[in-house]
Amino acid sequence: MNRSLRPSLRAARPLAVLGVAATLLAAGCSSGGSGTAPGDPANGGTPQQGGSVTFAMPPNATPNWIFPIATPGHTQAYNGTIRQQVFLPLYVYDGTDTSKPDVKAGAAELPKYSEDGKSVTITMKDDLTWANGEKVTARDVEFWFNLIKANKEKWATYNEGQFPDNIAKFTLVDDKTFTMDLTQAYNPDWFTANQLTRMSPMPQKAWDIQEAGGQVGDYDRTPEGAKKVFDYLIGEAGKLSEYATNPLWKVADGPFTIKEFTTTGQVTLAKNPKYTGEDAAHLDTVTLKPFTSAQAELNVLRSGGVDYGYLPALALSQQKTIESMGYKVEPWDGWAITYIPYNFNNPEMGPVFKQLYIRQAVQMSVDQDTIARVIWHDQATPGYGPVPQVPPGSYLGEKQKTNPYLFDLDKAKALLTSHGWEIQNGVATCTRPGGGDDQCGEGVEQGTQLKFQLLTESGSTETDNTMQELQSSLSKIGIALSIKSEPLNSVLDHSPVCKPEEAACSWQLSFFGTQGSWYYPAYPSGEDIFAGDAGTNLGSYSDPKADELVKASTSSTSPTAMQDYSSYLAENLPVIWMPNPAYQVSAIKKTLGGVVQDPMAGMTPQRWYLVK
Amino acid sequence: MTASVPSPVVAAQPAPVVGPYRRMVRLFFANRLAVTGLVLLALLLLFCFVGPLVHPTDQIHTQLADANLAPGVKGHPLGTDDVGRDVLGRLMVGGQTSLEIGIAAGLLATLIGTVWGAVAGYTGGWLDAIMMRVVDAGIAIPALFLLLVSATIFRPTVTTQILIIGCVSWLVPARLVRAEALSLRSRDFVQAMMAMGGSHRRAVFRHIIPNAIGTVVVNATFQVADAILLVAYVSFLGLGVAPPATDWGAMLSNGISYTYDGYWWLIFPAGIAIILVVSAFNCIGDGLRDSFEVRLQGR
Repeated sequence: MNRSLRPSLRAARPLAVLGVAATLLAAGCSSGGSGTAPGDPANGGTPQQGGSVTFAMPPNATPNWIFPIATPGHTQAYNGTIRQQVFLPLYVYDGTDTSKPDVKAGAAELPKYSEDGKSVTITMKDDLTWANGEKVTARDVEFWFNLIKANKEKWATYNEGQFPDNIAKFTLVDDKTFTMDLTQAYNPDWFTANQLTRMSPMPQKAWDIQEAGGQVGDYDRTPEGAKKVFDYLIGEAGKLSEYATNPLWKVADGPFTIKEFTTTGQVTLAKNPKYTGEDAAHLDTVTLKPFTSAQAELNVLRSGGVDYGYLPALALSQQKTIESMGYKVEPWDGWAITYIPYNFNNPEMGPVFKQLYIRQAVQMSVDQDTIARVIWHDQATPGYGPVPQVPPGSYLGEKQKTNPYLFDLDKAKALLTSHGWEIQNGVATCTRPGGGDDQCGEGVEQGTQLKFQLLTESGSTETDNTMQELQSSLSKIGIALSIKSEPLNSVLDHSPVCKPEEAACSWQLSFFGTQGSWYYPAYPSGEDIFAGDAGTNLGSYSDPKADELVKASTSSTSPTAMQDYSSYLAENLPVIWMPNPAYQVSAIKKTLGGVVQDPMAGMTPQRWYLVK
Repeated sequence: MTASVPSPVVAAQPAPVVGPYRRMVRLFFANRLAVTGLVLLALLLLFCFVGPLVHPTDQIHTQLADANLAPGVKGHPLGTDDVGRDVLGRLMVGGQTSLEIGIAAGLLATLIGTVWGAVAGYTGGWLDAIMMRVVDAGIAIPALFLLLVSATIFRPTVTTQILIIGCVSWLVPARLVRAEALSLRSRDFVQAMMAMGGSHRRAVFRHIIPNAIGTVVVNATFQVADAILLVAYVSFLGLGVAPPATDWGAMLSNGISYTYDGYWWLIFPAGIAIILVVSAFNCIGDGLRDSFEVRLQGR
């Protein structure tokens, strides 16, 4: 018997995306279906059809791609958001409910998995057509799959072993249905949320050509042909200034088409009059406006120049002013976690970090509640484990729900002194080396001092202050923390996965979470960041039980697999858990309804509408 | 009969001989602006280095419960910053860093620039050409850019800041001293020394540089002022000394974030301190320039 499975979103971001967080991340996210329906009294007023809305993008977010296959350098913020308004992905998730996909916003019905979890059958929606009048079919998905398979190395979100490597066979069942045999059994929730969300039908009968003016064929069905088609389409996709005029991109199946796409990043979406699905746009146009800085955006917002903008955290004192101008101000929480990885392979401090009691003492020194309230002005949420703390869902383990390491400096200090550390001149020094219960631990030599170095991203007062608070708290238990601020990209460059003998392994702690450290797809499993062999397991955290739990969360069908994983890592502390900042604090015109602030940073502007 | 008593003849007293240095000092102290600058600098030094003894505060630990208190609340004359540290105490500690780096970096830049310029100007020829092209090339690269790159490579500390700022600020003094050296090397006393078998080293260090000292000293004061501003720039961009240390630029940068909150005590004290110290050094520099100016000494 087949089971119908859960939703999807886009796969976990590659490391490069780390930290750039909100931005990169937004690229593949989708948005949700739980938007307020037109006429919902919560919005007040009478919903109108038509009208225009201007949306402010984050600083330096410059869309530069709409082709459904992103190549490196084209995963920037909002590319995915814009793309999915024009070319519908197979599945889209709304972060307000990560348990199921937002079917209305996608191109297919819910997937059906075989009982053994080794194959999945997907049926396309019946009512969708391309702008050229052709039906959206399973062949269109096969076209996308063939291009990906033949050109996977050029695909920005390709991870070895994952899509398309984990597809053993792609079979067209009929015009509307296809089946994919998988290389092994997978957790259906994970597969839908983290793999199927990457798929996007493309108009085979319009795009399967190898050169400008060429005949349409089935070129994609041979690897050589697929490469030529791919190269041609990528070449066309590079011409940003032609996005609004190139006939290729006019063959859309989404609720919007491109009306304007400038090289400076301004994009105007126009309602697609040929859209045949059930999620048609209410507005005539939606303009996504780029800004070079949050301050520039704030200035425009204060002049009423955007309908949907944001407040820099430090401008929250202007909330009343902004509200008096007809906006409502609401935080937009991200489906993310924020943390500071330990470098377990650092030759100097690696052996220290490997001691669980040290990590516990450090975690007990993080006053998350106060940091979130005072420093982040309540625009951050304390986080206690590997699963986003909000919105609370079925993935949170019991241990993570209730912070296992409450802020307690006395207890933290006692943990150190009871394991052979003495505070000398304000710094804890190991006086009882060895692996016994009351000793410093394996690999920690006598005389070792608890002096940590932290690399942190510059440019944010909140982050600076958070690090100062951490430094202050740690100093009270005998840990000296020295802080070095660098631009975000520099921090990421200087915090690579490394081996102890490598010079690059000199980093000890690293923070890149001003906008959240890691944004998850709908299914927040940790195979990309906490598995021993994960590509973005920056600190080389390695724990056999954690590996087992990570594996179970992606391949087991047990409903508690994610909760077990969540609880274990909340207690085992692979990183320092930190408060997770809101994705942004939004200012939304009160006349704009239907807005859902998707924690996965996706948007569904087709559901926005103006009210009188 | 009354004898007439010859009235004593008052002999004209010869004017006291005043050495050139005394004349310079007199001229300097006759310049009210220069004296004001000197007094201001002395007060700032006292404030930064003696102040913490009078107004001791904890500048190491944060006190989030006391964040952003207004001046006068809970015994904080200038309020607290966004992590609860006393602003007055922080102004003193930050001033120490700014002044230490500024003065040391300014002097270092002057030292390097003086030697470089004197050697180039005295030697002349191809060596001069090469040395001055190096200076031209260095001037073509914005100092701020070099500072930012350096701050990214090296962990910012007081020492590294001094070295970095000193090493990017010596170009202008080098040009000035070279111009002086070009003139001085053809003077009779230098030629005479050379004719008597004096070495080039002696010519440069005993004759060229001492005779260019006026230019050097005046420029040094401007170098110090510029260095303090550079420290402020770098810190303003978030690449200054690491917390819990701070400097006035970092304080100002932090305060600017709260412009819309009305926390003026996070902005004005640090901003005013920077203005005062830079103005003080500039006034002193102006006074020294006038003092060293031979044509003004007879006024």
